[in-house]
Amino acid sequence: MKTLTSNLRLFWQGTLLSYVALFTWLRPITYTASKIVSPLMQMLFFTFLGTFATGPENAHFYVIGNAVQIAALSGIYGVVLSIGGERWSGTLVYLFGTPANRMTMFFGRAFMHIIDGAIGVVVAFTWGVLLFKLDLTQTNLPALVLTIAVTTLSTCALGLLMGCLSLLTANVMFVNNTVYFMLLIFSGANIDLNLLPSWMQAFSNILPLTRGITSARALIAGAGMQEILPLLAQELGIGLIYGLLGYFLFKWVEVSAKRRGTLETI
Amino acid sequence: MKFKNIFIHWRAVLIVAEVTIKHQMIDGFILFTIIVQPILVATLALFMLKDTAQNAAMFVVVGSGLTGLWSSLLFISGNSINVERWQGTLETLVGMPTPFEVVVFGKNLANVIQSLLSMTGAYLLASIFFGYSLYMDQPLLFVISLFLSVFAFVSFGLTIAPIFVMYREVQQWQNAMEFPVYILAGFLFPILLLPGWTTPISYLLPPYWAAVALHGTSTANAPIQQTLFAWGMMLVFSMIDLFIASRLFKVMLHKARVDAVLDVQ
Repeated sequence: MKTLTSNLRLFWQGTLLSYVALFTWLRPITYTASKIVSPLMQMLFFTFLGTFATGPENAHFYVIGNAVQIAALSGIYGVVLSIGGERWSGTLVYLFGTPANRMTMFFGRAFMHIIDGAIGVVVAFTWGVLLFKLDLTQTNLPALVLTIAVTTLSTCALGLLMGCLSLLTANVMFVNNTVYFMLLIFSGANIDLNLLPSWMQAFSNILPLTRGITSARALIAGAGMQEILPLLAQELGIGLIYGLLGYFLFKWVEVSAKRRGTLETI
Repeated sequence: MKFKNIFIHWRAVLIVAEVTIKHQMIDGFILFTIIVQPILVATLALFMLKDTAQNAAMFVVVGSGLTGLWSSLLFISGNSINVERWQGTLETLVGMPTPFEVVVFGKNLANVIQSLLSMTGAYLLASIFFGYSLYMDQPLLFVISLFLSVFAFVSFGLTIAPIFVMYREVQQWQNAMEFPVYILAGFLFPILLLPGWTTPISYLLPPYWAAVALHGTSTANAPIQQTLFAWGMMLVFSMIDLFIASRLFKVMLHKARVDAVLDVQ
């Protein structure tokens, strides 16, 4: 019981402190710029680009795709920096020096970003309704909420894996940015996946977000919970695989760095 | 800030530009901004726009190259003074005999020139991986447009950099400034798609006139009058930017020497 309490405390404190310390969001203006205005601008750009390419009647295809893709803002940037930031701040040595439960410590880094990411997607959908007259009257809202939650979770799991990779390289922002922009291409947020070559479709299928975006589009078109549950189960499964891969890599990085004395080097 | 210094100290400008390029070519963030991101944007745009026009691929090459130029200007040139502060070299640079504006001009020149790689990368992507045969309507006018665009972007960068140093609340919006200019400057779609009230804002942006000139000479076969007008606007905005930059540098150097707060993070 004592161990459980201790792990829960560690989980919560690690979660909260890494989130606050990472973004220094002590002023609301910083949060507004990064998490509300910036996603809106991205959504506007790709929606206008999409309507230029395929006509204004398809605007909602891009609005929905980019609204769900906003999950990657927290899932990739937030989570990767939460883990990679430990090295920059010089706290990685202390972190690996503690006897704390590694699984609690590792998954705790993503927790706040799951919540934050899901809120970001809701804000993006709100922009879609207000600016692009996105019609949610036919939408099963509880199913959409579940889709947002599962998609954000799986995207954060990819972020955990990428965060561990960022412990192996000095170019954390390179990893972050590349993955984020690749998701814009391969997740189907902006391109109908059927138009992609088969190898790109295969790659899309092993990424998070792909099924989440498909589910969201189906739900807004009037589909029910039953129709999207298989997609969400697959999305969750993909997230689980990325999360576990990330955890094992995290453990390996720790053991390897301790053995070779390279904890603070690249 | 005296701009004649840039001509008097032209050797320093070139040396600063050379050292800046050498320094930045090993920085992952900068390589991403000037090469990888424009290539990914070009990939996306090629899939999305491939059926929209006969020479759509060239339009995408130029447009995605412009996104690279703007992102580079915003994140690299915009931070060209701040980077020195973070490294602890800002006070030394301000205090040395070579005028500070010469150093910043050299850095911005390097940033803008190296970000032309973004257009090259997009060109190679479209021609090699997508197999498009790319052609340019008015190559000579395009080269002149590119030269003037570089000048306009460098001048704009000289305005942004001191603002980011002195007004940190503005810099907090840096991430949120990337896509609005992609939109308002019409890099990858015409601004006619946007609501009418945004058009005057577009006209006030030097990147918009760069896009008009570069798209017009590369794919739109624009009449010479339109291109000349865009060139004229780039020159006018460059002069305005240089004037504003001269005032901003004066204020910034005053802070450095009188208030002694330049290195305060």
